[in-house]
Amino acid sequence: MATNERRRTELLRGVLDLCLLAVMQEGPAYGYEMTKRLRARGLSIVGEGSIYPLLGRLERDGLVETHRAASNGGPPRKYYQASREGRQTLADGVSEWRAARDAVDAVLGPVGTEVSP
Amino acid sequence: MSEFVDECRREWKRLRVPDPIANEMAADLAADLQEAEAEGASPEQVLGSEAFDPRSFAASWAAARGVMARPRVAVVRPLHLHSWPVRSAIAAGVSIATIFVGLAIVTVRRGSTSVATASPAAVRQPGPSGGVFLRQFGFGAGPPARLILGFGLVVLLVGIVGLVLWSVYWSPWADPIRSGRRRSSIDDGLGGPGF
Repeated sequence: MATNERRRTELLRGVLDLCLLAVMQEGPAYGYEMTKRLRARGLSIVGEGSIYPLLGRLERDGLVETHRAASNGGPPRKYYQASREGRQTLADGVSEWRAARDAVDAVLGPVGTEVSP
Repeated sequence: MSEFVDECRREWKRLRVPDPIANEMAADLAADLQEAEAEGASPEQVLGSEAFDPRSFAASWAAARGVMARPRVAVVRPLHLHSWPVRSAIAAGVSIATIFVGLAIVTVRRGSTSVATASPAAVRQPGPSGGVFLRQFGFGAGPPARLILGFGLVVLLVGIVGLVLWSVYWSPWADPIRSGRRRSSIDDGLGGPGF
């Protein structure tokens, strides 16, 4: 089980930034809001690293723009949205992901998930 | 969860993250955790595996944002003869040594001169070898002794002048510009947009 978790972590690590940029396409979001959007699509970060350092890196690299605004009844939050460069990075990343996924599927697709005794 | 945020704050302070940025991150984190708690979500659902390691979480977030000051590393450089501290030490040492040599010469010569000056009175006493004795001391207190004394004074003066020049130009308390040293700036390591 530990090996499976580690593999999942490794697989996610390479694409989590793309996932964040993708959920920002729905509209500007603050940290926890993005976590909820990911979870709504079946991607839980439980067991993975936090998204905050990733958001920090995206901000530092100029892939997201931020602004501070009041949330629903709560304190002002920092909202993130993909910049033009971020959208381009997302488009390039999705192409790469699809190509890699198809190549891996071609190898792993025929392999059964049941192991005979 | 405020304990988690407090721990993060301590870590950011330790990492010398500027206060306004640390406050901003802490406020965002506290608001997210509060909202998650109100919705019944676990901290792990917000922070992932880092929910149990606030220091690691805080450090990785600050590093990713590029707001962590670089640690000041003491660089130990080997001393070279051409380096400023060595040249300064040599100059001070030579000056002080020159002063001591000058003082030694002056002191010794003054001592022998006073003996020579007192000697003629002593040898005026009658005696078979008084004349010879007077001539011997007369030779010792003559022009060569005064020459050596003068030389000692010159050496002493040179040493004093050297020490004065060293203290003005090369000493640790001298003006860095006059002494040829450059002021160095400290890179606080801040980077990234907005900083």
